[in-house]
Amino acid sequence: MKDQWTDRLSEYLDGDLTAGERTALEAHLAACGVCRVTLDELRRVVARAQALDDRPPAADLWPGIAEHIGVVSLAARRVDGRGRRRLSFTMPQLAAAAVALALFSAGSARLLFRNRPPSPTQGTTAIMTNVGMSPLDARTAASVAALEENLARNRGQLDTATVRVIEKNLGIIDRAIRDAQSALAADPANAYLNQHLAQETRRKLELLRQAATLASARS
Amino acid sequence: MPYRITHMELTIPRVATLRRDPDQAAKDAETADAALAASGDGRAFERLYRTHVARVHSLVRRMIGPDHADDVAQDVFIRAWTKLSTFRGDAAFGTWLHRLAVNVILARRSTVGTERSRIDDSEHVWEGVAGRPAAPEMSMDFEAAIGRLPEGARQVFVLHDIEGYHHEEIADMLGIVTGTSKSQLHHARMALRRHLDRG
Repeated sequence: MKDQWTDRLSEYLDGDLTAGERTALEAHLAACGVCRVTLDELRRVVARAQALDDRPPAADLWPGIAEHIGVVSLAARRVDGRGRRRLSFTMPQLAAAAVALALFSAGSARLLFRNRPPSPTQGTTAIMTNVGMSPLDARTAASVAALEENLARNRGQLDTATVRVIEKNLGIIDRAIRDAQSALAADPANAYLNQHLAQETRRKLELLRQAATLASARS
Repeated sequence: MPYRITHMELTIPRVATLRRDPDQAAKDAETADAALAASGDGRAFERLYRTHVARVHSLVRRMIGPDHADDVAQDVFIRAWTKLSTFRGDAAFGTWLHRLAVNVILARRSTVGTERSRIDDSEHVWEGVAGRPAAPEMSMDFEAAIGRLPEGARQVFVLHDIEGYHHEEIADMLGIVTGTSKSQLHHARMALRRHLDRG
């Protein structure tokens, strides 16, 4: 059975009726059992919709996406065909890798800078962080700042050994960043140095992200 | 062996009095991943994919059905990769991705929809959803019942009741008036109440 109010029940449920319409409908509900039942069912439909679980696709879509955008997946198929094996790294492994890479690339930057003749632009241009910062650079800097703040806030969740490793590696990466910035101050157009600075900044972002994840897992 | 934290030790006085916000930490990590991905880091983008694929795929599946869901969901992530530089971090990455997904779905719906019989909005289609099954074993579950709704009502229902968009936003996205969005939503709910106990 349907009356003139049945089609307004969803609006009533969503709070979309005027005060006058709401009062009238509530008066009708007091007298109409059919509308009360319908309203209750509509409420349950909304609740059911909000409780639906999200399900992943039956097959992993990442290999197709990775191929399309030209990146390599962390997941590698086992040679024996028993399925996928995800490569995983422990915090110390990641930290050691960060140290090795940072030392290597910082050393490369120093060598390159030491062996190069002075650039014609030397002494006339401010350091990279102040010149031509792209929106992406600015966002990366903002992310680094947010994660540094997060780490400071949550470092109490990590044990001292972990904090020591993280801070040691952040110090190394920061030194590499400062070296790159100093070198760029003398030679701002140097493609290698710009790439090196971006790489070190990404490395710092990655290390901070790992630390934030580790800290939040303990919260 | 994975690194293990064996004990807790506060290294900064008063830090324990700060209120920890794991959600904010997760959001920060996602924003960092988005920045990394925007600079070309495929691993960071894969992490974002794995976090959000279930929600994106479910949205696609509910909006346009299972037949094209994999293709469209994949397209969403490919589009996201190419548009990462436009993500400013003002909102959560998931919110940005979700809106992008809706745009991709709506752009694809015309080509997908013409292949589907359920674009038919006539009365017998509503009856097919609303009719109470004669026996429990013949019933469809709630998700399947959503999939049987006429296209317009299904999209409004998914966007409003599952995804939480307002009628004004839905009307804007679908190119309809707000009154139509409200009407479609009510019809969808009325049809789906028959399947409440079968999901």
